[in-house]
Amino acid sequence: MAATSRPTPFKPKQASSEPRKRVGAITLAALALPGVMLGAANADSAPEDAVISAKLQGYKDSQPNLDRIKVIAPSLHILAPIAGAWSVEASVVQDNISGATPRWHTSVAGASRMEDRRIASDVKLTRYFDRAAIGARFSYSDENDYRSNAIALDGRYSSADNNTTWVAGIGASRDAINPVNQIVENERKNVVEGMIGVVQALSKNDLAQFNLTHVRGRGYFNDPYKLVDQRPREKNQTIGLIRWNHFIEGNSTTVRSSYRFYSDSYGVQAHTVQVEWVVPLSERFTITPSTRYYTQRQARFYFNPVYDPDIGEPYPAGYSTNPPTYYSADARLSSYGAFTLGSKFEWRFDKLWSVDFKYELYQQRSSWRLGGGGSPGLLPFRAQFAQIGVSRRF
Amino acid sequence: MSNQVMETMRSFTIAVVALSLIGLPFTQVGAVEVGSPAPTYSLPTTAGKVDSAGLKGKLVYVDFWASWCVPCKQSFPWMNEMQAKYGNRGLHVLAINVDGKQADADKFLGQVPAKFQIAFDPAGVTPRQFAVKAMPTSYLVDGEGRVVYVHAGFRESDQKSIEAAIVAALDTMKKR
Amino acid sequence: MKLMFRRLLLAIPATASIALLSGCAIQPPQPWEKANLARKEMTMDADPLDQAFTQHIYFSKESASGGYGVGGGGCGCN
Repeated sequence: MAATSRPTPFKPKQASSEPRKRVGAITLAALALPGVMLGAANADSAPEDAVISAKLQGYKDSQPNLDRIKVIAPSLHILAPIAGAWSVEASVVQDNISGATPRWHTSVAGASRMEDRRIASDVKLTRYFDRAAIGARFSYSDENDYRSNAIALDGRYSSADNNTTWVAGIGASRDAINPVNQIVENERKNVVEGMIGVVQALSKNDLAQFNLTHVRGRGYFNDPYKLVDQRPREKNQTIGLIRWNHFIEGNSTTVRSSYRFYSDSYGVQAHTVQVEWVVPLSERFTITPSTRYYTQRQARFYFNPVYDPDIGEPYPAGYSTNPPTYYSADARLSSYGAFTLGSKFEWRFDKLWSVDFKYELYQQRSSWRLGGGGSPGLLPFRAQFAQIGVSRRF
Repeated sequence: MSNQVMETMRSFTIAVVALSLIGLPFTQVGAVEVGSPAPTYSLPTTAGKVDSAGLKGKLVYVDFWASWCVPCKQSFPWMNEMQAKYGNRGLHVLAINVDGKQADADKFLGQVPAKFQIAFDPAGVTPRQFAVKAMPTSYLVDGEGRVVYVHAGFRESDQKSIEAAIVAALDTMKKR
Repeated sequence: MKLMFRRLLLAIPATASIALLSGCAIQPPQPWEKANLARKEMTMDADPLDQAFTQHIYFSKESASGGYGVGGGGCGCN
């Protein structure tokens, strides 16, 4: 099948001394992320107190012998009850990104340096009833080349004994994409999602949750900063999540575990397993070590670093004779496994103040894919992330 | 959507449904309703013992509370007020604690002072007999040991209606 | 391997039913027995800023995302 459009001609290597506003490679914000429910307003009844939290989050990644992206992101979160039956929740975060863009198997060497800033904000209003609640959430994210607006509605309803809670939600987002290299202009991406789930108290020490989510996306999914990237304009995802919190009476510790199954129309299938162990060391001090394993099967149109014999890198093999409809060299679509190890420390000063610090180490390797068969020709990827936060009740 | 994904979705849906149905066999049977006789009890208190027989003739406000129950922090000052206001008319507030550990209850009482009688039932016998469905739940038991009012939960907006029920019950008792 | 995972998923309600019938392990608590469930660490999603930040990192480094809830929007990071 002939390609529907030809790629733009090969761009010359950027001089690495020239700083350039190039965004989209990695931006990080604590919020405005599909699928994360602002948790504090999840309780069955309006919160008792108002809480304000501030966090400073940092991220740094690297590949062998190369430091790459650094992000510093201050964030703020407020949760407040209103008039007994309502609550409002709001957050704002600013990502400050700098560094060298990834040298993945786009092999166009030379990471060029980039800087960007992104601001994202989120507001949620919840109305509480006797054993139910309904919430509406509005999200906004703005950066140099990408703007996103989203709304979501969610509801929860509990059984008479409060041991079973059914949850459901729908969301929609509209994104506008204007890459700085102007490879496309005013592209769009529209996504709708729906979720149903149930939270069940299995015993006086066990709480479990099952969620089923379906997402449908239409629009521009290419990475405009990758020289060779052509993805379908439709992306549908199905996600199943199981979570289990278990309290151990003997030592007052809690084990939190989860398993998530992900599958999308690109052919990507992924499994995520997370376990963390909340250990109160004293009445005020808690330590929570955590671990996560992630494994992913590549997108159907991901190609390994085997290039076309005629036109060479970065074009996939066979490009000159019979170009594929879809293709991408983005390592994020390859087959690999990843591990995270981390620990969180929380210190509750008194009834009003608390401080927390979390540090995590992350590494991605093709060889760590479950069952083998990881994509060849990719360098391991490492990242560290940390956060320090303070929280005050009112 | 591929067959595989459909099947996985089906498995998850089954799991979701199964999980929600787990609670069904355990749903509480029976209720202590207005008009029915209140269960009898004999429990230790902060200063000795209390038993239902000894409270005959009084309007007993039986309140089930625990240290982890958030609305209980608000109900205590209000119960202090009620005991002070209507004590001489025959109201007797009895707050039964259901914490598994006495230490937790003591810590709560240290922070939230109570000027009414506190009883302890760590084994959870009385809440089961009273068919408590939420925490906190309170019952008004008249002079003959009959339940005249049941209230689950405690919100600021509830205070007036509960107080009205207390006054109404006291008036009825006086007439007898 | 996919078959294995599907079987695992079906095993969950199966195990739950067995535990239910044998009357042990799974016993939804009475309202007055919820002391441990009321602990902050036992709630799902206790620290929203933490979870949002971490999930965002994974969203920009991995293909899979979401599943925890609805809402939020996109970013130019994936």
